[in-house]
Amino acid sequence: MASMDVSELKKNAKIDIDGMPYVVVEFQFVKPGKGQGLYKCRIKNMITGAVIDRTWRSGERFEPANVESKKMQYLFSSGDAFTFMDNANYEQVEMPASVVGDDKWYLLDNIEVDVLFYNERPVGVSLPSHVVMEIVDSEPGVKGDTATNVTKLAKVQTGLEVAVPIFIKIGERIKIDTRSGEYIERVNS
Amino acid sequence: MIVADAVRVWDAALSAISSCLRDRGLRQIQTPPVVDEVALEPWIEPLGLAGRFVQTSPELTMKRLLADGAGATFQLAAVARRGEHGQWHREQFVLLEWYRDAPTLAAVRADAEAVIAAVAEALAPWRRADAPVPTRWRSIAWLDALAQHTQLVLRGDEDGDALVHACRSRLPLPPLRAATPQARTLEAWTALFTALCDQALDAWLAARAADGEGVHVIEFPAPLAALSEHERDGSGRAVAARFESHGFGRELCNGYRELRDGVEQRRRFEAVAQLRDAVGLPVLPMPERFLALLEQARLPPCAGAAMGVDRLVALACGADSLDAIALVR
Repeated sequence: MASMDVSELKKNAKIDIDGMPYVVVEFQFVKPGKGQGLYKCRIKNMITGAVIDRTWRSGERFEPANVESKKMQYLFSSGDAFTFMDNANYEQVEMPASVVGDDKWYLLDNIEVDVLFYNERPVGVSLPSHVVMEIVDSEPGVKGDTATNVTKLAKVQTGLEVAVPIFIKIGERIKIDTRSGEYIERVNS
Repeated sequence: MIVADAVRVWDAALSAISSCLRDRGLRQIQTPPVVDEVALEPWIEPLGLAGRFVQTSPELTMKRLLADGAGATFQLAAVARRGEHGQWHREQFVLLEWYRDAPTLAAVRADAEAVIAAVAEALAPWRRADAPVPTRWRSIAWLDALAQHTQLVLRGDEDGDALVHACRSRLPLPPLRAATPQARTLEAWTALFTALCDQALDAWLAARAADGEGVHVIEFPAPLAALSEHERDGSGRAVAARFESHGFGRELCNGYRELRDGVEQRRRFEAVAQLRDAVGLPVLPMPERFLALLEQARLPPCAGAAMGVDRLVALACGADSLDAIALVR
């Protein structure tokens, strides 16, 4: 993509820095008198989420990032890779397990996620803020122990282990926060 | 601010400005905003219009009028500067520009103080009672402000590379991109100006403003003269007959004792053009009509200034951005 004059920079602009896509989350333009304009930005790495401050000066150029987000459905995993399908045209893409990272623990069959493409390569998924999953394995609770702050480890379909209250049993469904991996509540169905 | 209030505020402010400068012996005029040539500045971009420009200021037009015997005039000019958008910047704004056909910078500074006071008074009904307005003014030489805030002691005639070297530990400047010595000097000094304002001066000016004090930064270093005359200050430093007035903690006004030497003005514009080329800014035509006027020694001794009216109106209302008083968004 052709580079752009820094005067085109604004909030939510997506820019390319050292082969990484960033989004401008805060933007401030200051210009002392006849001095050079300063474009003071806070930018977020769209892959790692890391936030940094960066100032451009008038006359500088920036590279717009070629990024696109598509709604896709998770189909299956082969161990090394995860396959997603574009709901609009049924095209499938494979994302290496190393790119999916810990998000794999929340990839339930057929779950709909936003897949981020950078230079036409899938570089990450954005999950819903919480998912509902079923307990497939857990120690039974100790009889008589009813204190609510006591937890035990339980495994859900994807293999993720979650600390849950002692009263949760195999076969029950729970809501999990995808950002922290923490148990939120039991879901009665 | 709702539109009806913004209309009242603008009406009061524009009327106060006109009355103030008329009372001080200037005549109000209006010149066309679309022009054939603009003064070359490193960091001011005109909006182009099929080979012509919306004026970045009416300076060149008003200097032609001075050469033709117009005398002391002022105007409230519609101007545009491409790409300037922020809390205190708009691409299009109203610039009060005035000239006195006498080379007295002190009179022009006094005009600036009077205009700011008149607008502050006119807009008092829209301002919090305890909001500070500049009721007294102090002047500080640019090189003294630099020394005071960064411990950098300079003479004002350092060339670009010497300046980058001198600043390296106190206020590091970005690497120079211009090739020619004149353009490197201009680039380094404008970078130092930007860094000084951004990292030290603005906070100090805000503190002065909170105290009800306005500040004229005077005697700019010679490489930042733009369209003003060079001179030597009391201690022999190379300075420009230029001032910048800061009221309410913000830059409001820029004034010059105007340069009348066509050879020197062309040399400065050429340095600007070389710098613009080095940093990839669009090529602007040399303002030959204006340069011819200087080269024919037709510009009488004069001094003038320009003041950002939108900013003054917003600040005098106690607003925290130009949005509050904008008539058109």
